[in-house]
This record gives sequence, C-alpha cells and structure tokens, in this order.
Amino acid sequence: MGSRRYLLSKCLQAVVTLWFVLTFNFFLFRVLPGDPVGLLARSEHFTPEDVARLQHDQGLDLPMLEQYGVYLKNVATGDLGESLRTGIPVRELIGSRIWKTVLLVGLGTILASWFGVLIGIRGGWRRGSRFDTTSQYSSLVLYAMPEGWLGMLLLLVFSGWLHWFPAGGYASVDETGVAYLVDLLDHLFLPLLTLTLGYIGGYAIVMRSSMIETINEDFVHTARAKGVPERLVRRKHVVPNAFLPSFTLIILSFGFVLGGAIVIETVYSWPGLGLLTYNAINTLDYPVIQGVFLIASAAVIVANLLADITYGYLDPRIKQA
Amino acid sequence: MRSRIRNVLTATLGLLFAATIATAASAQTATPAVSSDGDVVLRVGVIADLDTDNVFAVSAGSDYTVATSEYDMLLKFSSTDLTAAPELATGCDHNDDYTTWTCQIRPGLKWSDGQPLTSEDIAFTYRFVIDNKIPQYKSYFPSDPTFETPNPTTFIWKAKEPTFAPSMPPWVYIVPEHIWAPYDGKDLKTIRDVSQTPGVGSGPFILSSWTPGQSFVMDRNPYYWGPTPALDRIEYRVYTNQEAMIQALKNGEIDAIDGLQPSLINSVQNSPNVALQKVVSDWWLNLAFNFGGQPGSTYTPLPALHDLVVRKAIEMSIDKEAIVQKVYQGAATTGDTIVRPASAYWHLDIPADKEFGYNPTTANQMLDDAGYLDTNNDGIREDPNTGQPLEMRIPASTDTTGAEEAGELIVGYLKQIGIKADLLPATDAKMNDYWGSGNFDAYIWYWSGDPDPNYQLFVFTSDQCGAWSDGCWKDSHFDKLYEEQHTEMDQTTRQTLVKQAQQYEYDQVPGVVLAYPNWLEAYRTDRFTGWVGQPGPDGYLLPTYNYDTWLSLKPIGETSSGGSSGIPGWVWLVAALVIVGIVVVVMRRGRKIEPDEA
Repeated sequence: MGSRRYLLSKCLQAVVTLWFVLTFNFFLFRVLPGDPVGLLARSEHFTPEDVARLQHDQGLDLPMLEQYGVYLKNVATGDLGESLRTGIPVRELIGSRIWKTVLLVGLGTILASWFGVLIGIRGGWRRGSRFDTTSQYSSLVLYAMPEGWLGMLLLLVFSGWLHWFPAGGYASVDETGVAYLVDLLDHLFLPLLTLTLGYIGGYAIVMRSSMIETINEDFVHTARAKGVPERLVRRKHVVPNAFLPSFTLIILSFGFVLGGAIVIETVYSWPGLGLLTYNAINTLDYPVIQGVFLIASAAVIVANLLADITYGYLDPRIKQA
Repeated sequence: MRSRIRNVLTATLGLLFAATIATAASAQTATPAVSSDGDVVLRVGVIADLDTDNVFAVSAGSDYTVATSEYDMLLKFSSTDLTAAPELATGCDHNDDYTTWTCQIRPGLKWSDGQPLTSEDIAFTYRFVIDNKIPQYKSYFPSDPTFETPNPTTFIWKAKEPTFAPSMPPWVYIVPEHIWAPYDGKDLKTIRDVSQTPGVGSGPFILSSWTPGQSFVMDRNPYYWGPTPALDRIEYRVYTNQEAMIQALKNGEIDAIDGLQPSLINSVQNSPNVALQKVVSDWWLNLAFNFGGQPGSTYTPLPALHDLVVRKAIEMSIDKEAIVQKVYQGAATTGDTIVRPASAYWHLDIPADKEFGYNPTTANQMLDDAGYLDTNNDGIREDPNTGQPLEMRIPASTDTTGAEEAGELIVGYLKQIGIKADLLPATDAKMNDYWGSGNFDAYIWYWSGDPDPNYQLFVFTSDQCGAWSDGCWKDSHFDKLYEEQHTEMDQTTRQTLVKQAQQYEYDQVPGVVLAYPNWLEAYRTDRFTGWVGQPGPDGYLLPTYNYDTWLSLKPIGETSSGGSSGIPGWVWLVAALVIVGIVVVVMRRGRKIEPDEA
C-alpha cells in the first residue's frame, strides 16, 4: 500500500539523518581546541608523560578514523562509553538525569501547550475583546521575557520573601514515600511555573493567528449560513482546522524536550540533561557529549517522524495529496 | 475530525502523564532511603559537584573535601600553620643524615569495614603511588624511597639521599590494602575509574552516596579512632545558581556554603544569623610573560618582553589595589611573591615601600629612557631594536575567578603606558592550548601550590619549559636557589632560602602576581558552633587540609534538622482535589476548560 511505503521511506530517512548527526557530533567536538586529558595538567599535577599515558589508556591517541570506528560499533551495541572524568558509564549518567529533564520540560511543555492553545482559541474567536487584547499582550511579554530573569524573580518572591518553596534543587536527600512526592512537588513547582510561563506565549500567539485566518474561510461562512450555532461552528469547523499548525509545533516541541532547558536548570539547580551537557562541553568529556547529543537528536528525529505520520492521520487531505 | 484530534491528544497526554508518574517512581529509587529522625545533620551548599569519588583521581575542591574526611594521612596538616602534626603516626624521627625516618603508628586502628589498619597499609599505599605513578601524589616521594614495616605500629621510610619529604608532610591519603591490592599494576584509567561509593576509609566520615549533579552524603564512621563527632551525617547539595544558594542559607535550608563569588559578598554580609569567612588565600592570580621556546612552538612572543625594564614598567603600570577592590570586592589582598599567603611560614611578604608600586608616570619614564618611543604618534610605543609596535595578545581564563575582569583593567593600564593589548577570554581547555603551544605574549591564569613551597618554586625552574613553566622563563640563578632549598634539611635555613628565591623571582618579573583572592565561605551562626579554621582563624572552616572541624562542630540548642521551605502535603492534596473537581465539572458541561483563572 502507498501509505506503508510512505512510512518505510520516512523511517529510512530518519535512520540516515541519525547516522549523519552521529558522525557530525563525533568530529565536531574533536575539532574544538584543547584536549580532555591535557586539562588535568594544572589541577591534578599531570606531567606531559602522565597526560600521554592517560590519553593512551583512554584510547584517545588512536587515529581519528579508528576512534570513529570504535564509536560506531559501540553505539550499535548500545554502549555509549564512560565519562572521561568520572569513569561512570554514560548510559548511567544520562539515565539518572533524563527523567528529571523529561519531568520538568515535558510537563512544562504539556501545560504550556494546553493552556496556550486554549487561550489562543478564545482570543482568536473573540478577536478585539478585552480577553483578546489582554492575552495577546501578555503572550508577547512572556514570549519576549528572558526565562532566566523570570526564574530569578519568581525565586526571589516565592522562596526569598514568602518561603513557600525551597531555593532550588531536585529533592531533599532523605525523604521517602509520600513525603518524597510532596518534597518533589515543592521543588518542581517554581521551575515548572517558570518554564510554562516562558513557553505559553508562543503557543497562544500561533493558535490565535491560525484561528483568525480560519474564521475567514469559505466553509465557515457556509456553516453559519446553514444556521449552525456559533458554539458548534467553533468546535467542529474552525478549531479542528486552525489547530493543525499548533499541532505540528507541539509535536516538534516534544522533540526538543530532551535538549533540556539549561537556563532554567541552572537557575533552579535542577540536575537535568542541559546542565550535564554544559559541564561535559566545558571539560571536553567526549563520550558524555556524544551520548547526550545522540539522545537529543534521536528525540527530535523521532518527533519529526511522528509529526509526519500523525499529521496524515489527523488530516485526511494530506494523505490523499 | 474532532474525535481524531481528541483520540490523538488523549493518547499522547495519557502516555506522557504515565511517563511522568513512572519518572517520579523510578527517580525515587535512585535516592537513598535513610531515615534522619533524631540525627544531627549538617547541610552544606556547594557550587562544585564531585568530579570523582576515587581518591586516586581527585581534582577539584569538592573531591578533596570528601577525601580529607574519609581518609587519614601519615601526618596531617596542623590547623594552626599547616605544618606536620600527628594523625596515623604519633610522630616521626629521622636519623642524623635524614636518610631514614621512623614513624610510630597508633595501635588498634580499624578501617570503616572493621578490618585492622596497620603500618602495612601505609607502606602499601606509598608503594602503590610510586609503582603506578599516580600523578597527584608521586612527587611526594623523591629519590626512590623504600618502606619497611617491622611490626604493625612501626613504619620506616628509607631514602637514598637526605630528604625532608616525610615531614612536609606528604599529601597522600592512606588507603586499605585489602581494597586496592587487586588494582595494583593496572593501567591508570582502570585505577581512576574504580567507584568508591560507599568508600572504605579510616577518617571520621565516609562517602555513603553520590547523586551526580545533585548531592553527596557522608555518614559517620563507627570505627573512627579519634573522638566521636557530634555530627551524624553531612549532606552536600550542589547549587548551580549562587544567588539561590545564598537564599537557601538565609531560609535555613542549608547551614553553610562552600564557595561564593565575590560579587555576592554584600548579600551575605548583612544578613541576620549569617557570617562570612574570607579564607586566607591559597592561590594567586597570575599575569605570566612568554619568553618563547616551547618545544614545537611556531609563535614568536613580543621580543621586548626579554627586557627587564619593559617587564618592570608593565608591573608598575598595574593598579593591584584597584583589582582587589573592583574585581574581588575587597575579598583579596594585593599580590607580590609566588608562595601563597596561606603557607605563612614560607610566604615572603615584601613591605610596601620595597615593592615596585603602582606608578604609571615612572613606568612611562622608564620606557622613554630605554628608547621605547612612540615615533608615529599613534599612542603605541615602538621597539627600537625591531621597529615593531609594542602589541600583546593576552589570553585570560574564564574559569578562573576574576581573571577576565582583571584582564579588562590591565588592557586599560597597558594603554596608559603605550602598549596595545588584545584580551582573549578563553576556557581552560583553550588556555591549555595556548600554554602548550606558547601561542601568547602574556596570559592571565592562576597558580595554587601545596602547603610546602617546593612545588610552586619548581614550576619556575628552567627545565620546566614545555612542562609546567608558564612562559619558559629560564634563569640559572633561580634554578640554583631552588636546588639549595630543595636539599636543605634544616627548616630555618630552608625558610631563608625559600624567601630568597621569592625575592629574586619578584625582582626578575617573569610574571606579575596580581592578587591573592580569598576563598569565601558562609555559615549560619545559630545552628552550629565549633568551626575550626585551617590555617588559623582566617583559614578554611570546611575541611580542606584536615577534618578538625568535623570533630569539633556541635549543634546549638536541640538537634538541628534544618528548616525547610515548602508547601505542606495537605495543600497539595487540596489543590489536586480542586483541579480534579474543575475538570469533572467542565467535562460534564461538554466544553473545554476556560482558562480565565489560569
């Protein structure tokens, strides 16, 4: 069937893209100045002989192509290597932090897209109303506002003045059970709020524009002429069509969840992937950098794939085209 | 169409919420389940996470904190002045020619797993370091020493030449033979990768858990040989945002902070129940000149730098006091000599009237007299020998506190004496590149030495060019002074020699010691008492050189379990019920939620 071939070709494209990304990442970071072992010279008293020795032990003195070959083979077998700094397997490092990023950024993206779309629908439907004007300006302000600054502000007010929430971190060390859940929520609330407010504007703006465009389509006039009540015009005709651009945006945003939200993670000391990546780049910890970029790229590629497929499902016109 | 959207959205949201719950559940098992009721817990905020839990791979500050708490050394650094004091050994005696040192080891010692600790473990540790050439520690064993252990409480260090190495004391943590013997002879990477959580040591606190990027926890060692600490546990929490960390201290979520940037001094200084500690400096900010000649280097640094007059003029054009005030907010002292002030016994403090001093007018005069004139009136002097303008490329480390900011000031100072400087901010990775390839005219970085000055002087010797030398300064007189102090067994004589070496280096200006910045700690005054500074009352309060603070800290009042900010559980429950209620009502109405209240 046509759609099966379509699916297959999309999947093949995804695999090729992933391989390209893997290769690009591998060589990109090795082109950067400095080397991870040489960095230890000043802080750990490594002589040039020590540096050469550790480089050899870590396989960093092999020819570049050979290192690349080893890397590809390892990735194929699911071995992402070990951190050059700590020796901790990269899979473990990423595994322990990936859920914290998914929790924060994923939940934030869900909330931002949900509320953003709803605000956009109402604003676009009642264009020019007080709700529309207020929400439009608020969306623009939030969209333009630097998240880091917003985060610091919320931290100051809710933690510094009101003492309602802790000043950062993921969880206190020794809680279990229900106490753990409550503690987690306490720590999650402010970064989640910051993230949601930071993203919500974009969704609202896109949805609103789309609504306004769709309202002027011929089929909407037809529906009204037929005497369909306004409520149903909106629900059954306008929104489903206006929603398509926002839908693509949302699916793609989920692809970027694994990239982390480094600014928010830094402001709130949230131990997610964003911060892991930043530290790894600073210390030229190649295996960690490669591992994180692999996961993040894979997520975006998969999200793209999903968007392609479900778009076809949602809008029969696309599939037939 | 609408039902399709609803199907997809419902499926997606369902999956994601399930993932969220799974997240919370799976993440829970990652944190240790330790009950804390009634325990005395000290909570410390840090800006630097552990790099490693392995004592043979220690690198940054937090690594040393853990190692110093977990392990003992043969002799420790005393809290008063960092000279040798009893630890595993109650004392060490040397023979007449300093080739044999005999140490008495305390009897009945145990490791944290209950196994006995004897002189054998000390001998094993030292041999392990030497045989496996562990970089951080091998320099403490000059002249191929051998070790003997005639009985469990006697340890003998035999050297081929006279040495004072055992009394420095060697900064080498003693590890259990029964844990580390399997790794003897393995390659360096394998040794460094051995995980030590939980660790086995002899110190008062052992690392019991480490969640990278988040926290690390040390629990009391029940087998510790010394006085029982009042603390049961120490929790270190990693903060990536220093303002938030200070907030946590003020809120009472943590009891102390280890490391703070100078610009935040004011937010700590005037808070109730909070005190700031400006730790006497054990590192210095360095402007190093490049003399060229690094092996493989293709760059020719500014030839004028070989002229002592030019180097002196540059030093005199820099207002070090301004750097202290503007860059470090007063949490520093002006620099002069290369041995850091924390090594008070060895550090030479040149009196102000004997220093070159800040004097741009004289600096300009000196350069005029030496013939470096601005012949084309473009504000930049020319070198009379080459005709080239005096221009410098100056990398500055962005990973060293204050280096970049000081660099910006220095560019301005150099302009005042007719030298054009390009500041090149760089991460340490790139700085390393510059250093190795000699591709700079001067750079701004740091040095921090050991309590013993030998290493710091060593890096300035001639044959360190291409290894640890900043800019390949080669001076045979300095090399001679280094050798003399290195082989002088009498402490007092050696002190004189070390100070002579510092004075000579100061006079020759192979670089400029810009400032001695303080490390900053802060702590609550209403939670714990008994902080012990090392060295001295202006030293580190949190264990760095020794763990005396852990032994003397006591809670003020009843057991301190730390205040916490946070909404109590019932509020969340009520909120959840309210949300569920709204959702149910709206679903019943068959419409989507109106976001007016959102």
